[in-house]
Amino acid sequence: MISPILSVRALRKTFTLHTIDGRTVTSLHGVDLDVAEGEHVALAGPSGAGKSSLLRCVHRSYLPDGGTVTLRTDDGPVELTSLPDREMARLRGRELGYVSQFLSAPPRTGPMDVVAAAGRRRGMSRSDARDAAADSLRRLALDEALWDVDCSVLSGGERQRVNIAAGTVNPPRLLLLDEPVSALDPANRERALELIASLSAQGVAVLAVFHDLDAMRRLASRVIRFSEGRIAQQGSAFDVLGAAA
Amino acid sequence: MTVTDTVTETPTTAGVLAALDAESFPRGILDEGSKREIRRATLTAVCVPGYQVPFGSREMPVARGWGSGGLQLTLGLLGGHDTVKVIDQGDDDGVNATNLRRLIVDSEHCAQTQDTRDCSVVQSRHRIPEEPLIDDQVLVLQVPVAEPLRGVQKSVSECARMHAEADYSMIWVSLYEDLVRNGMITKTTGYPVLVNGRYVMVTTPIPRWDVPRLNNAASLTLFGAGREKRIFAVPPYTRVEPLTFDDVPFEVEGDTAQRCARCGSSDTFLVEAPGGRTACSDIEWCTRTLDGDVDTRNHAERSPLRFLPDPARRVRAATAVKRRGPAELEARPVPAHADGWTLAVRGVGKVHGPGGADAVPGTGPGTGTAISPRTGAVVAAWDVGFDVAPGEALGLIGESGSGKSTVLRCLVGEETATAGSMFLTTVGGGDTDVFGLDAAERRALRVDTVGLVHQNPADGLTMKVSAGGNIAERLTAAGWRNYHEIRDRAAYLLEKVEVPLERMDDPVHTFSGGMRQRVQIAKALATDPRVLLLDEPTTGLDASVAAGVLDLLRKLLAERDTAAVVVSHDFAVIEALTDRCLVMNVGRVVESGLTDQLFQDPHHPYTQRLVAAARR
Repeated sequence: MISPILSVRALRKTFTLHTIDGRTVTSLHGVDLDVAEGEHVALAGPSGAGKSSLLRCVHRSYLPDGGTVTLRTDDGPVELTSLPDREMARLRGRELGYVSQFLSAPPRTGPMDVVAAAGRRRGMSRSDARDAAADSLRRLALDEALWDVDCSVLSGGERQRVNIAAGTVNPPRLLLLDEPVSALDPANRERALELIASLSAQGVAVLAVFHDLDAMRRLASRVIRFSEGRIAQQGSAFDVLGAAA
Repeated sequence: MTVTDTVTETPTTAGVLAALDAESFPRGILDEGSKREIRRATLTAVCVPGYQVPFGSREMPVARGWGSGGLQLTLGLLGGHDTVKVIDQGDDDGVNATNLRRLIVDSEHCAQTQDTRDCSVVQSRHRIPEEPLIDDQVLVLQVPVAEPLRGVQKSVSECARMHAEADYSMIWVSLYEDLVRNGMITKTTGYPVLVNGRYVMVTTPIPRWDVPRLNNAASLTLFGAGREKRIFAVPPYTRVEPLTFDDVPFEVEGDTAQRCARCGSSDTFLVEAPGGRTACSDIEWCTRTLDGDVDTRNHAERSPLRFLPDPARRVRAATAVKRRGPAELEARPVPAHADGWTLAVRGVGKVHGPGGADAVPGTGPGTGTAISPRTGAVVAAWDVGFDVAPGEALGLIGESGSGKSTVLRCLVGEETATAGSMFLTTVGGGDTDVFGLDAAERRALRVDTVGLVHQNPADGLTMKVSAGGNIAERLTAAGWRNYHEIRDRAAYLLEKVEVPLERMDDPVHTFSGGMRQRVQIAKALATDPRVLLLDEPTTGLDASVAAGVLDLLRKLLAERDTAAVVVSHDFAVIEALTDRCLVMNVGRVVESGLTDQLFQDPHHPYTQRLVAAARR
């Protein structure tokens, strides 16, 4: 059997809040998880169950307290929790993408630059990256008049589409999606979901958090339900979520 | 025995003095001790051509600035067998020249002449006589300003340091500024020359015309500055090269059509005469030419006619030299150590006050104080270590007084670290501790390896010099000697930092704060340093201007392989520019990690407070 792209073992994350009398909050109590090439794994569960924490621990925006996160790369498996910061910073651009609810574009840059820069980080030439970025923005139906406008003046939905385009252009090996379509109107949501669905066909491993069950039913090859920082149940979308209402 | 019968005559006071006078040296203006002091300094000056030797300058019976330095040299030099000639502005009969000559002759009882061929010592102001000087003749020049660096550096010890390190970039900048402002060199007297390939000397008081005539001259030339108490010399047959850019030919005053209205000479230095005419500045030569008593051929051969202004030569020089492209430097690979870094810092500490490392216990975030309970010393930073790879930017964040700027100043060499070491891959392959180098080597590093952007642009720029000139300063220090190449590079950099090119030749003090900071960034990048240190680069600027500078820095860092260290108390700056950062508190590193991780998941109590404060 081919080893999975992402392999999470016994992952734990506890926050110590020094500013509030030093209390501790544990969001992950030992999580085991694999994502294979071309597989779309959706995380389900109520708010605060640890879904986003898991994504951030994989991305190393949170530093896990225990367990391992192993990513399969061309140079062999890499353990992310103990990877030196510099290596992690390099790996992020190339091998793993993170799309959150909020666009974290550098200030005063336009959609075209943001998306093309993401493409270049993943090894595209300057001109290829611009072509791919244009293609991607067009697929998400972002008005061409906005391509060179400062991202901060865009609407929430427009920003989110820029974010998706940046995360998916010249897609990385592993893509982490944190409620990527929550701010989109139905038509744009449809386009975004189509784009995400096409990634699996390209062999991208996707680990996603969606709040809407429809999206999960459509995209997920496997659904994992979280509860209080632990995996409560996993299986096909039908098994976990039940039939569509 | 009776009382003596011979009565000795009681000597009178006058008689005793007369007898003493008869035995002593003839009285002159200077006593023998003073002359010895001058001769000692003169010998040193001859041994080290172009080097300014300090000496105990005496009060002279002429006003300072009227030739007291030259007069002391002449008096110290002359013996009874010498013949002296004194000229002022090329004239033997001027009031000043006549008075000085009479003073010298009366004091030293030597012969005098107005004919250069007959004299052994010429004291002169403004000119070298047109008659070529020969072996054994000595030319003494009265110098108004001896220090070529005086115009750019007030501190005497700093000037001495610059001479010692042959750090003459500011002189090149003054030539650059002259060219920019006037299209050609307009400096007439005091043109800087390189003597014997080592020291830069000013040729005050002689005009540019006489500068090439100093080169490999047969005579000894001595320069005396009474006010500045300096003697310097050009020994016979010594190389004297005027400082010029490779592509801007050295030129003397005058033009090819010049001619003396009196004697008709065309190969002498001419000055304006009444009636809008020009005449020889050297009146002795002019008169002898009229009398037919000159060797015109010998004179013409030694005249600097080939340096007369020639527009065609200027163009040829500007095009003949193959120029580097302005962006060529950027192709330079940034070497990385086997472990991936370009700059590595290990265990750096700085203690102000007594005790050194012994002062450290009891300080730090644990006790919340930087003041040593044992010695009272201030432990500004301790045990700070990191390394930075090519193309990577590392942040150093912490509130005021946390020690981040101290660390940066130690790296640059503005402060001496109490402990620790620093390695650069460009120095000894990364195995040599940079802190162990001497001050001169540290300064040399700042020219082409380590660039620094200060919080206050005034600290990094010379305010009265143009934007281009500030960049030229760094480039000439790194050995750039091609004027057009320097212009190209400066324009290229100013364009990069988005300073309008029409402001390139304006003095920096006419710029706004944001523009100054951009010019400072351009200057720091002039030699494309492998390591760039940014100390609160946007702190002094208002929000909109700071945002512009921040964008610029982000762009510049993204497009080159420089290893950067950014010091700031502002999370927005650190977040925009860096991937990794260290958090400092009371002189120690309390946490390090990926920048977004520190922001989203801070561990240390201090970092959590800092983040909470930034979010507010």
